[in-house]
Amino acid sequence: MAIILSDKEIADFVQEKKPLPEDYRAKIQMRAKTGHKERELDVKGEDGNEFRLILRQSAINPLDFSIILAYRPPKSNQLFRLRRYNGKHWHTNLIEERTFFDFHIHQATTRYQEIGSSEDSYAEPTDRFSDFNQALSCMLKECGFQIPSELQERLL
Amino acid sequence: MVLKDIELDFKNKVSEKLSLSSEGVDRYRVFTPFIFEDGDHLSILLKRRNGGWVLSDEGHTYMHLTYDLEEKDLQKGNRQKIISNALSMFSVEDKEGELVIPIQRDQYGDALYNFVQALLKITDVAYLSRERVRSTFIEDFRSFMEEAVPENRREFDWHDRQHDPEGKYLIDCRINSMLRPLFVQALPNDDKTRDATINLLQFEKWGASFRSLAIFEDQEQINRKVLARFTDVCEKQFSSLAANRDRIKRFLEESMQ
Repeated sequence: MAIILSDKEIADFVQEKKPLPEDYRAKIQMRAKTGHKERELDVKGEDGNEFRLILRQSAINPLDFSIILAYRPPKSNQLFRLRRYNGKHWHTNLIEERTFFDFHIHQATTRYQEIGSSEDSYAEPTDRFSDFNQALSCMLKECGFQIPSELQERLL
Repeated sequence: MVLKDIELDFKNKVSEKLSLSSEGVDRYRVFTPFIFEDGDHLSILLKRRNGGWVLSDEGHTYMHLTYDLEEKDLQKGNRQKIISNALSMFSVEDKEGELVIPIQRDQYGDALYNFVQALLKITDVAYLSRERVRSTFIEDFRSFMEEAVPENRREFDWHDRQHDPEGKYLIDCRINSMLRPLFVQALPNDDKTRDATINLLQFEKWGASFRSLAIFEDQEQINRKVLARFTDVCEKQFSSLAANRDRIKRFLEESMQ
């Protein structure tokens, strides 16, 4: 990424309210690609920032997936990945020298950007989800997304 | 440390970081220390298939690349070349997005070695997208125009055959079948923006009737004076392709009506 964001900026972007459109469920129906399924949804935050929800799932192994919240810096053609909810596979945090095999959540950090790694190279194992749909619910709940009130009532 | 001990340490380090764990019937996950740039390890499965054994990535490698790239961009240009070279160099097969290497004559170690090298080479295209992003802008522009404008309405690298038979004043994409054709220019840098200014002025001089649109790779990177001169002669501009795809598409649709 051309820009470096501080941990505070990253946290603010994650928490910025992101209202979803009424038909967001239809808009995130996955489409088949070669070897995997994918879909994206652009969302404008309440503070005017632009975000993209990126969904990926292996066509062969449903536990291999990624649900990504990315921020698009103004007038940039590159995305900055703030959070990534991943399926079960091996991951190593290079700075902390910790390797694990589990469902996990990547998060952008300043320290990994500073060593030239991908912004979201740091990850923590989680037991908050164990499949794609649970991971998506977690992402929507934890990253400032606002489900349209009608749908929210139905869910409740 | 003597040479023998160093060698032993190398061997231990490499071998202790390789392991297999069972994941169902005739299916094993292969752990290796080799990682993508984001710390995720290469995804490698040892599976039984058609009576033999194969190593497979189960589609993970391409999927991982699509975090940064569009899938169709993997299938053309420099990226496609890097990928197909890696596959043929290490005898890896692409089975509709799943990368597979069959184990021949019980040579499990050789197959793993080749598979890892192929996957690492393929992940290099992620660096191409970031470090050489300028070299892919024109490819991205062309594929966007191919998507947005029907084939019979567009001509890439168009020039006026009557006034300019040698093709000195090229238009990146001319959209036709309207009252006035639309000249679309893709502008990655100062030089190309200067050329585009000269081209548009030349068409004005010839008395051509046209409308003009410019799509910058990143308008903020263009020199202020160069941009100012270009702005005087170009009707409509978008500051970048990636951030404005929907708006540009809408503009093109409206222009083509």
